[in-house]
Amino acid sequence: MNKWTVAAGSMVLAAFGTLLAAGTAAASPYEKYAGSTIVVSWPALSHFRKAETLVQEFTDETGIEVEIDALQYLKLRDRQLLEMSKEEGEYDVVSWVVMWKGEYVSKGLLTPLSQMFTSGALVDPEYDVDDIADAYLQNGGVVGGKKGYMPGKSGGLYGVPFGAETSILAYRMDLLEQAGVAPPTTYDELRAALPVIKDKTGVGALTSRGKTGHQVTAGWLLHLAPLGGKIFDDAWNPVFNNAAGVEAAQIMREITQTGPTGIPSYGFSEASAAFLQGDAAMYIDTLKIAAMSRDPKLSKVDGKVGFALHPVGSRCGSETGGFAVGIPANSQNKEAAFLFIQYITSKAGDRRMVELGGDPVRMSTIAHFADQFAEYPVVLEQLPCADPDWRPLIPEWNELNIDVLGQALTQVITTDEPIQPIMDAAAEKARAIMEREGYYAWTRYRGQ
Amino acid sequence: MAETATGRIPGHPRPRPRPRFDSRALTPYWFILPAVAVMAAGLVYPVLDALYLSFFNWKIATPFSKAEHVGLANYVRMLADPDVRESLWVTIRFGFWTITIEMVLGVALALMLEKPIRGASVFRTIFILPLMVSPVVVGLIWRYLFDARVGWINYYLGLWFGIEPQVWLGVPDLAFFAIVLTDIWQWTPFIFIIVIAGLQALPSEVLEASRIDGANWWQQTFLVKLPMIRSILIIALLMRLIDVFRALEVMYIMTGGGPGRATELLSLHIYNRAFDAQLLGYASAIAVLLIVIVFGLSAAILAHGNPMNEKTDV
Repeated sequence: MNKWTVAAGSMVLAAFGTLLAAGTAAASPYEKYAGSTIVVSWPALSHFRKAETLVQEFTDETGIEVEIDALQYLKLRDRQLLEMSKEEGEYDVVSWVVMWKGEYVSKGLLTPLSQMFTSGALVDPEYDVDDIADAYLQNGGVVGGKKGYMPGKSGGLYGVPFGAETSILAYRMDLLEQAGVAPPTTYDELRAALPVIKDKTGVGALTSRGKTGHQVTAGWLLHLAPLGGKIFDDAWNPVFNNAAGVEAAQIMREITQTGPTGIPSYGFSEASAAFLQGDAAMYIDTLKIAAMSRDPKLSKVDGKVGFALHPVGSRCGSETGGFAVGIPANSQNKEAAFLFIQYITSKAGDRRMVELGGDPVRMSTIAHFADQFAEYPVVLEQLPCADPDWRPLIPEWNELNIDVLGQALTQVITTDEPIQPIMDAAAEKARAIMEREGYYAWTRYRGQ
Repeated sequence: MAETATGRIPGHPRPRPRPRFDSRALTPYWFILPAVAVMAAGLVYPVLDALYLSFFNWKIATPFSKAEHVGLANYVRMLADPDVRESLWVTIRFGFWTITIEMVLGVALALMLEKPIRGASVFRTIFILPLMVSPVVVGLIWRYLFDARVGWINYYLGLWFGIEPQVWLGVPDLAFFAIVLTDIWQWTPFIFIIVIAGLQALPSEVLEASRIDGANWWQQTFLVKLPMIRSILIIALLMRLIDVFRALEVMYIMTGGGPGRATELLSLHIYNRAFDAQLLGYASAIAVLLIVIVFGLSAAILAHGNPMNEKTDV
């Protein structure tokens, strides 16, 4: 073997090595998972229907197939609990209403996302989790902080917000002008405006959820926080029957009396439809109403809607709610599921969601589109008021929400009975549940 | 044929003494064994499982091994629970109104359409259409018909009678009326179809004889026809009674049991306790109560005229 042969051989090897190295460096982080299929469980709501296009784009780009199981949003929990309690579940990604996160984590059903965020091969360096609105991230994804559901050093990340929300005021500019009423900025102004709007326009003043159970409680909670109320004090004593809680209930009664016909039977869809179809002049609830009001399939009021901050009472306090996405502990495709979550909540994915008619979760996206959508500057101003303690996201919340408050508040809005005794009776029921679940054991122990 | 003093027939061999155990006696039981096995697996096992679960506190999606054994605590709590009593009372009222009206209407319709009048087959088909619709779809249809804002019922009440829009599904009494009406719409055809089958199977000789004896239409209906299909009416009543206590889907879709607990039938109460409140053991205890009630009512009805006994006599 002469030196030319050796040199030629070395050159070939070097070239091959360079090609190989270049090939490895250029390989897609998705390549390993191309051809796999993940199953996603999420709600059949407008934002998620818009996301189906983004999901298809994810499949086209990554080769990872996605099957979507979309259900009515309050039915998700039963189905997800069933799947996640199996040895091997069907779902690889689940989207939960934020109030279920505590229950899911306490039962060991979710994968801590730290398992994924420690993998250099999976995490996109440009993902920038800090860009996600803090109120959304803490409320939808963090479990284990203060009180178990609040931000705090002991908290861990289990989900990323997708379809998260806070509350704002949406109003019909034409109807408020007709009534000679300015968009209310405080609760005093709001209460004064309700009968005036009804009398002068003949249209329901403010629409609201009011159906027995979760819906009527959600409607009441929207007013409890700005009026300075809470469900529990720091020792888990029910305090929702104090002056703020009763006032919030009184406002619910007034809203029912001056609102569109049928509030006691309204869920989220009916309450939104009343505004979108022109039967209500105002809407205080999720910011999703903005995108819905621009959708010609849903709305007759496009172009007539203005947006303002959620009115303040003794403090500013808007809701923190909506959805987050995470990975079940029994998923068989956790890495591919993480890549999916990362893709749809990335900066590019978040902006794409806005283009598709959905709602953003990132501050950069909201700022980017602030001059295109009337509600975005309002949302930017509202987010610092978003209250992570708006409702206690403890595992027992579902029972309190539906079985206790959901019954009491129905009594408030469908009768003329005094409110204080109704709320006192509900507080006693709530205390019994907390007692049953052992929340007062430490107080008793310290008191001995 | 003459018999001897011993009772033996001459020329016939002495009968062999009957063996203590005749394996052939078991043959019928082998034939029904598959059915019994299926019933045991599909019916008895879940009931026993519910009974077993009612002695525990267990939350869904947690290991059953961690469930706390509470003895009879769930039953003690159930008996003192005003919400259970309220749901039971709603169920009884719902059953009374729906079954009474359905029986009257179903029998009346069957009597009207038993004769071969022109277009009877078309009417019969139309009348049984609601029976073919899934309960979930029935719930959705009527939920939107009763919708306070866009429902047809409010629209036509306003258009024809000038009545203000009513919150059908948001006022306790109206919501109760709505679910009763929906149930009547869906299940009257069931009574109708059973009764008309019975009427058409009546022997024409008996009816002819009563006519010759001078019976008018009322006498023929109430003294001849209905007594002759009494067994069928009892079966129809029994099946509707069981259905009322099982009813869930339509109320779940239409009202979710609200407003308050105005339309929360016991089965829906069980569902809400099991899945909303995650009280699986407690919900099982109420389910056991439901089974006991249905069993008791069924036994009471059958004690007053068990059609199967009458069949045995034949």
